[in-house]
Amino acid sequence: MIKNNKIWSVLLLSASIVGCTKLDEKLNNTFTNQQTATALGAAGVGLLLQAAYTDLGGPFTGQDQVFSLEENTADESLVPTRGGDWDDNGVWRVLHNHTWNADHGQILGVFNGLNKINFDATNVLGFSPSKQQAAEARFLRAVSLYYLLDLYGQFPVRNPGDNLLNAPQVYAAADGATFIINELTQIQADLPSDNNPTHATQTACKLLLMKCYLNRGAWTNRAAPTFDAGDLNQVVTLGKSIISSGSYKYEAEYFNNFDVNNGTSTENVFTYPNSSGVSANNSGPQARWMMTLHYNQETNYNPNAGWNGFSTISDFYNSFGAVTPMVGVSKFAAGDISGRYADTAVDARVGGRYYPGVTDVSGQRPGFMIGQQYNEAGVALKDRKGNPLAFDPKIADDMKETGGNLEVTGIRVEKYPPDLTSAGKNYEGPAGNDIVIFRYSDVVLMVAEAEMRINAADPDALVLVNGLRVARHAAPMASITLVNPSNVEDPKTLIAERGRELYWETARRTDLIRFGVYNTIWQYKPSDNATYLVFPIPSQALAANPNLKQNPGY
Amino acid sequence: MTKTRLLRVALLFPILIFIVQQSWAQSKAINGKVSDEKGAAVVGASVTVKNSRIGTSTDGTGAFHINVPSSATTLVVSYVGYVSQEVSISSSSDVTVSLAPDVTGLTDVVVIGYGTARKKDLTGAVASVQAKDFNKGAIVSPDQLLQNKVAGLDITSNGGQPGTATTVKIRGNNSIRAASNPLYVVDGVQLDGRSARPNPGSTFGSTPDANPLNFINPNDIQSIDVLKDASSAAIYGSRGANGVIAITTKTGTSGATKLEAGVSYGVNAGYMKKFDVLSASQFRTGLSKYGVANQDFGGSVDALKEIFNNKLTQNYNLALSGGNENGRFRASFLGSSAQGTLKNSSLDRYIGTFGGQYKFLDKKLTIAFGLIDAHSTESILAVANTSGSAGNLISAALQWNPTQAFTDGSGNFVFPANGSGNPDAELAAFNDIATVHTTLANISASLKILPNLEYKFLYSINNSIGERNTNTYGFIPGISSTGIGDISNAKLSAQLFTHTLNFNTEIARDLRLEALAGFEYFKSDYSNNSFSATGFNTNLSQNSVTIPYTSNLQDGNVQNLPAVYVDPTTELQSYFGRVQFNYADKFLVTGTMRADGSSKFGANNKYGYFPSVGARWVLSNEGFMKNSTMFRNLSLRGSWGITGNQEFPAGASQEQFAFNSYNNASQINVANPNLKWEQTKSFDFGLDFTSKNGKIFGTVDFYNKNTSDILFQSTAIQPAPASIYFINLPANLKNNGIELSLGVTLVDHKNFSWDIRGYYAYNKNLLTNFTQNGKDILIQTGQINGQGVSGTLGEAITNNQPVNEFYLKQFQGFDKNGNQTYGANPVFAGNPNPTSTFGVSTALTYKKFNLTINGGGSAGYMVYNNTATSVTNIAGIANGRNIDLKAYNSDEKPTSPVAANSRFLESGDFFKLRNVTLSYPVGNVGMYVKNLNVFVSGSNLFVITKFSGFDPEVNVDKSNNNYPSRSIEYIPYPTARVINFGVNFSL
Repeated sequence: MIKNNKIWSVLLLSASIVGCTKLDEKLNNTFTNQQTATALGAAGVGLLLQAAYTDLGGPFTGQDQVFSLEENTADESLVPTRGGDWDDNGVWRVLHNHTWNADHGQILGVFNGLNKINFDATNVLGFSPSKQQAAEARFLRAVSLYYLLDLYGQFPVRNPGDNLLNAPQVYAAADGATFIINELTQIQADLPSDNNPTHATQTACKLLLMKCYLNRGAWTNRAAPTFDAGDLNQVVTLGKSIISSGSYKYEAEYFNNFDVNNGTSTENVFTYPNSSGVSANNSGPQARWMMTLHYNQETNYNPNAGWNGFSTISDFYNSFGAVTPMVGVSKFAAGDISGRYADTAVDARVGGRYYPGVTDVSGQRPGFMIGQQYNEAGVALKDRKGNPLAFDPKIADDMKETGGNLEVTGIRVEKYPPDLTSAGKNYEGPAGNDIVIFRYSDVVLMVAEAEMRINAADPDALVLVNGLRVARHAAPMASITLVNPSNVEDPKTLIAERGRELYWETARRTDLIRFGVYNTIWQYKPSDNATYLVFPIPSQALAANPNLKQNPGY
Repeated sequence: MTKTRLLRVALLFPILIFIVQQSWAQSKAINGKVSDEKGAAVVGASVTVKNSRIGTSTDGTGAFHINVPSSATTLVVSYVGYVSQEVSISSSSDVTVSLAPDVTGLTDVVVIGYGTARKKDLTGAVASVQAKDFNKGAIVSPDQLLQNKVAGLDITSNGGQPGTATTVKIRGNNSIRAASNPLYVVDGVQLDGRSARPNPGSTFGSTPDANPLNFINPNDIQSIDVLKDASSAAIYGSRGANGVIAITTKTGTSGATKLEAGVSYGVNAGYMKKFDVLSASQFRTGLSKYGVANQDFGGSVDALKEIFNNKLTQNYNLALSGGNENGRFRASFLGSSAQGTLKNSSLDRYIGTFGGQYKFLDKKLTIAFGLIDAHSTESILAVANTSGSAGNLISAALQWNPTQAFTDGSGNFVFPANGSGNPDAELAAFNDIATVHTTLANISASLKILPNLEYKFLYSINNSIGERNTNTYGFIPGISSTGIGDISNAKLSAQLFTHTLNFNTEIARDLRLEALAGFEYFKSDYSNNSFSATGFNTNLSQNSVTIPYTSNLQDGNVQNLPAVYVDPTTELQSYFGRVQFNYADKFLVTGTMRADGSSKFGANNKYGYFPSVGARWVLSNEGFMKNSTMFRNLSLRGSWGITGNQEFPAGASQEQFAFNSYNNASQINVANPNLKWEQTKSFDFGLDFTSKNGKIFGTVDFYNKNTSDILFQSTAIQPAPASIYFINLPANLKNNGIELSLGVTLVDHKNFSWDIRGYYAYNKNLLTNFTQNGKDILIQTGQINGQGVSGTLGEAITNNQPVNEFYLKQFQGFDKNGNQTYGANPVFAGNPNPTSTFGVSTALTYKKFNLTINGGGSAGYMVYNNTATSVTNIAGIANGRNIDLKAYNSDEKPTSPVAANSRFLESGDFFKLRNVTLSYPVGNVGMYVKNLNVFVSGSNLFVITKFSGFDPEVNVDKSNNNYPSRSIEYIPYPTARVINFGVNFSL
């Protein structure tokens, strides 16, 4: 008995030294759901809303994100494999070739990136936001749903506070379009009426609504889009209200919309803001020039700075050409590397002009780069083998460059003039160019398109298009048609004007589908079929959510 | 609190040493001397009166003196590693005893979780390696002591830099997550398993982690036990599934205070194996062969040779120990500077230890304590795992145009425009210093409540603080800014409280029971942070490097966001017990049970239960074999049990919100409140035998492990705050295998003896039922890096394949233009997990010379040569970069597009001669120096393999999204051949 007491006292002693713990996990640098509402403090739900805004940075900036799915799959961009560079397991070639499958990493990455916006925006709604905050959150969600529907033909939506282990509801095609249109219609009045492009505004909401009305016919029948007159009238009404408000006007210089000071652009409706030299919430816009520039461009500050990848095709470049003679812009034949343009090129969107703050520091001239490239002192640059750095429009037929000129093939496109403030230090980031998501000229061109779809000969459409062309120093057109199905690059068409105005702005694939020419054959794409009008649901996403249905053909 | 407690104990210590208790009745004095088989004195041998507690130990000359009751007739003399011997004292009071070495290890005491057992009583599969059998030569961290010593234990270094972490697999690949090393237990203290050395990554990618065992002085280790099966490991419950490695450090022995000292020096004697790129003359021939102009600069440079480190490795080791009946202590000091294969890479360490055991209250109370205090300074090179197109130091050396000098006429670094880095410039421009300070302290009290009932309390704390300053100076081109500085810190703290109660009794004649019950609480915290800036005004020219950026971070033009991370606190609360029955040393049965509660587990699964049972039948003790002329020991073993694995990120079971940056907060994970441990059910059947004369002994084991409820990063259902979340997947990861170990004494003469030991282990790894909604899951991992292959993955974790099966496009030869061609879609291309591993060691003694040789290898697996894919591919020569010999000798032309495919998959089979050591015991010199021993030793002398890279024993971490990779070589830190020489002696 005494012995037993001894044992028990020891056991009790040990228990008292340690005690038992309930094993509640202490998170230390994160909050539980319950703690969050109070932990957010005075800034409150605005912090959660800011997270949804920040989520836009990834999908809308990176060269392998929405940009890649919209542009590399179209006639505007491709990434040739250059000997030892840019094979990347063939991911770029299958996009331009239209031979991708459901395991493509970029198709998964974009799906997850857009759904992150979808999630964080929905999450805001569970934390008692103000009316305007709720409207902003729903706008951001609508942006993500618009792109999901357009790219994948369907999108999942959750209610705030849903159990994340359960599969959410999925909307497709017409139901999806209706869902987004209803959302945008409901929130429009609650959004601010200013024209600050760094947050959701009534104009941004209207612009997105126009896109939904205009593309609804393509989402329900991608092979042969049809357009409802009511939808087209909505596009015109919404667009005219933006145009007539006078809040937006064309910039005198086209590339002002994309340079380091583009926060003051009078055309940008919705952007992802970046601050020069500041890494907080910077989305890395430098990728937009590094992805295309040759290794040896910008030698003074950053040798080997460019990645020497992205190019455009000569047929697309030529769509700028033959309407009326344009000084300094010649039509390029394959293998023709003659040109460095005069500073008097008519269509300002082609670029090639002296650009203050860029050309004087780096020698680069924003826009299309063809032929010999120079540094800021006017000295002709060389490639890494010592040959002239002269970009050659001719790309290998199978997009695998194996020749001696493999470093210099392909017309390069510098849409965003590099941030060379701070003595060139922000060339490689964090650069200060805001990423343009929606822009005013899209509004004008959508109105023109809707008018022409209602009445092919509507004179107002030509007025709108020519108004834009004049602003870009391009000769007005005498007449215009929507599209020439036998020649996608026919310069006298509205699809070509959209290409000239909005090239490399993450919209080309959507446009080509809506104009019914996405499956036509263009350079370096030998064959195609209707399967590729919509991307597959990524294999991983399909396995996780049984409510998603794989698109036909995949 | 703890620290002060320890301090107090430490202060008491000098007083305790001199407390001597000797006060019992005496009646007969015995004097004696104990020597080993060669006649050398055995110091510290235990001498006890048979069937009593009276005893002493031998002094520095092997002599002892003991007063025994007049009734005593027999003394038992024992010493670790020797067969115990009984001597009669009924007729003489002067005895000399010559101990015979016990090569079988049967009498060795083996650590079995919260206790020890004699090896011959084990019911589980435990391999024990004693200090005398450890690998010798260039040893930095303790796991290297075991390489190729234990069947079923596969240790692969993650890089050749001294002190780099190792990938340790016991009986196959047991996990599809990154953290799958075994549990390390040091003197009863379970470690956290992580290192506090920060790993922020640089512009060249992130370097391999540091070895979490770097704080242990290899000279302090007495023995290492590897607990392989469930019967031995299940007592560690949810942390035991990857096996357990128990390290026992040396303790003082009774006798006069002893000073042991050792000094050794090492030199790097070339690369163990070179990666073959073209020599200057071959390169010249290549330039004309491929028609490349302007790339012959007329020189002859061997870049790999230029970056080779010729500095001297130095080790100074000192140990002080002593004690008596009632108390023993040991203190040791290590000062060591280990030089890496490459210039500017080193690991300097200072480790002090202090430990003791003191008995009080009539020996009923034992207070034991141990303290390790270690400080290490690493100089790390930019040899990263995941370098992209910027490459790293090794790619710079491999690609360097061998006809071009590193510097121009005026001593300025040459930076070629062809994308190849300048290795010399990278050495000068990269400065990366990490310091880690680790303290492991433990104190325990054991109280004998009754003669057969003992209570023990153990408290330990393991604190580790790391700091790392990484600088890339602005004068080097090709990096993403003009200079980068990064300061990072990490902190790791783990505490353990253990209470155990030990009971043993003889239930009936010949039937003994030993029982253990315990309660344990384990808590660990980890945090790190990092501050960095880019774009500096200083160090922009190679001649003006002033102070590191990390000493002047405010000068950076762009201040990156600080990254601060605090891991959720991990707590484990456990109840465990073990019963062992021993019937007449013929039948032994062990049962264990552990209940683990973990804060990591979801709210719905707080506790996990881990049972095991094991049995041993000693046939050689049965009547029918008593007179066998063949076996001294013949036993059959069998065991079954369940072990767990809870190594998944803390916090995965709860919904978490975090501030991402200023004004930006969001939910960051998908919570799974059902999360629980992953469990491994295993069976083991074994046979142990020792021949009658003790000259042949061995072990055979068959095992079957089945891991289920696999902790898996599943795809989150979008929309979701993250792309993955953790679930327990009802899949099965199976490892089946055979292990054979054999030891033979070939020759055993007075002047010449020869022992050989070896093992062979076979393991088959297969993932089954790996499906989701009825479809096979296919996770791609194994990043293939470098220019032109961004985003390429080379391995798959999928159903009905071994973990990490290579998944690559099939190479189809070269077309007529010399371009490589390959299939459109990846296929399963080979197994990266070695199916066979083997080791052999031999010891030869001629007179006093002693030669030990050991080596080993692996077979039945493939290694992917990512270096050849993207660094030394043939495209390089067109731009004046060097290429590998294999590409040069192929039909490929320099315009061939780069691509990852099965062409770069090579057999990894190898045999490596790890070490040859020749030692000569000079013996006692003069009056004071004793046991003087000199040795010369060669490590990594050669490797036999068909693999074309640096070292087929390679595991560069190429994990993707935390899915681990295996057996990919990518511009790794190479292995050096090392020659060591040194001397040991005692005073």
